Amino acid sequence: MAIDPASKTLREYKQYYYRKVILVLLSASACIILGLGIALHFTAISISQLNFWIIILITAILQIIFSISIVKIIAAPLNKILAALSHKIGEPTTDTPPNPNDKRYEKTGFKTALQAIYGDYQPEQKPTSDNDDKPKIPLTQALNQASTGVVILNSNQKIIFANSAAPISRNAKGEDFLALDFLNEPSIFDWLHEISNEKIKAERRWQRISTNPDVIQKTRIFDIIVSFEKGAAAETVIFLIDKSKGYLPEEEDLNFISFAAHELRGPITVIRGYLDIINEEFSGRLQGDERQLLDRLVVSSNRLSSYIDNILNVARYDRHHLKVYLLEDTVANIYASIADDMQLRASTQHRMLNVNIPDDLPTVAADHGSIGEVIGNLIDNAIKYSFEGGSVTVSAEKKGDFVEVSVADNGIGMPANVVDNLFHKFYRSHRSREAVAGTGIGLYICKAFVESHGGSIIARSRENEGSVFSFTLPIYATVKDKLLEDGQLNNQLIRKGGGWIKNHAMYKG
Amino acid sequence: MIKTILCVEDDRFIGEMYVRSLQKAGYDVTWVVDGNDGLVAARNQNFDLIILDLMLPEQRGDQILDALRNNNVDLVPNSKILIMTNFEQDEASRKSVMSRVDGYLIKADITPRNLIDVVKQMSSDD
Repeated sequence: MAIDPASKTLREYKQYYYRKVILVLLSASACIILGLGIALHFTAISISQLNFWIIILITAILQIIFSISIVKIIAAPLNKILAALSHKIGEPTTDTPPNPNDKRYEKTGFKTALQAIYGDYQPEQKPTSDNDDKPKIPLTQALNQASTGVVILNSNQKIIFANSAAPISRNAKGEDFLALDFLNEPSIFDWLHEISNEKIKAERRWQRISTNPDVIQKTRIFDIIVSFEKGAAAETVIFLIDKSKGYLPEEEDLNFISFAAHELRGPITVIRGYLDIINEEFSGRLQGDERQLLDRLVVSSNRLSSYIDNILNVARYDRHHLKVYLLEDTVANIYASIADDMQLRASTQHRMLNVNIPDDLPTVAADHGSIGEVIGNLIDNAIKYSFEGGSVTVSAEKKGDFVEVSVADNGIGMPANVVDNLFHKFYRSHRSREAVAGTGIGLYICKAFVESHGGSIIARSRENEGSVFSFTLPIYATVKDKLLEDGQLNNQLIRKGGGWIKNHAMYKG
Repeated sequence: MIKTILCVEDDRFIGEMYVRSLQKAGYDVTWVVDGNDGLVAARNQNFDLIILDLMLPEQRGDQILDALRNNNVDLVPNSKILIMTNFEQDEASRKSVMSRVDGYLIKADITPRNLIDVVKQMSSDD
């Protein structure tokens, strides 16, 4: 339907209607007062007497009160109907749309009018004689047969009904909860929180939402439809359509990732391994620029290895298999394990790498290998988006309950709209797509790792001035109790890259 | 103290690389390329350290581990076991393996020099 921009809005119609009613009432009042005045003058009290004017004044005041009451009463349904219509057609309005489930409207019968406007009026169907013959099926029993999960929440967002297909678990307080993992998406409850004060009715869909692997062992994947109707007995109804059969082949127990990892890592192991041997055994015999050429090979193979790690980590993260094992560690110690590699990466690409990580920072709760990857990714980016001869600075400082690690460059920088999108998967700025190689998943996985630690990551940048990427890690002392409670701590292990060795020295005391 | 090492690794390049570096570092290394030979060697001779790949022909590394060290029996009580793999196990299998070995490393993360550091570290723990 074409909308005529010059057409009047409902608000304008309301104003027009009000003007008309007020005009009629004012005219009527004026006529009544005039009539009363003439009648009084010629029958009882002369116009020159004070009593005449007192009576006229009282009558006028009563007329005004009476008129306002009339306007209010006759305009009220119109007001509500117009507010509902404005809401329905999406016209901007400051009026709150009336809620059809309000008890008052149910009593007066106005609910039907509102339902008709909102488009969910259904005439009551009287049961026919045929229906009477059909056996009555208990609703709960019927829903329990379905493979689609049905969950109903009350106005406090507590589960008041869930059929047997719904992925429900019970917490320590004995309350049922939906064991779903929304990853980066806003959850059903985030959404309800957002809309419940503004909308009467709303619906939203989610796709590919997995059960929370920490709570439910057998993974199921759902498409979800949530209907919200403010004030209704079943305020929120959640349908969880089990799509595991469709989605799971891709997820199949990490099979694809496992084999891809094996295939990709094999040649990388050989290349890095033999380069290591050549580096050690030939180091005294290299002449001219041979050292530089060898360093370039080493840096490239290390970077390739990092990219493979990124790809595998994204695949794990998207399939809910990304795990971090938090141990007490220092940022300086984590950096030390990648320092040589980073120094080599910077120097072969002619960047100055400044590292300023104080030794006396508090210890953090960190997965050694993952945070090494995060810092490595950020330094790689800083090198990519800066100029030859530029510098990259890695620093760390305590900030409240966290230690903040920053990687700064004085490179090409980014405009604000690019910064907002940086941490999305496969996001690469328009310009960098042409100028710089990369997969666009490095920052996405950095965010996943940092957030798995309970930290956060941000980017600050100015075009042509450079960028600073900072992430935080929780100070160990602030999360130690929680980690112990979760059984996350295993201090007997020494982390090595993505693996570990047992720290036997611990047992000897 | 680690002196003798059994390396069960089917990739020729990787196997040779490890053997070469470990031997240069002074260790006595026996290298076998399939799971059956690995299990036989581990049972017949006492090694201080067994470096075990997971994806192996004939018998997988986790099957060898099941045979050597399980809830009921430990056929190699004097050996340390170091898993070296590029294979990505699922969480449950990895935990099961981890509980019975002394180290679990991703080969792509570890260069020969790193490996020697790890072996030295394991050795000094004794």
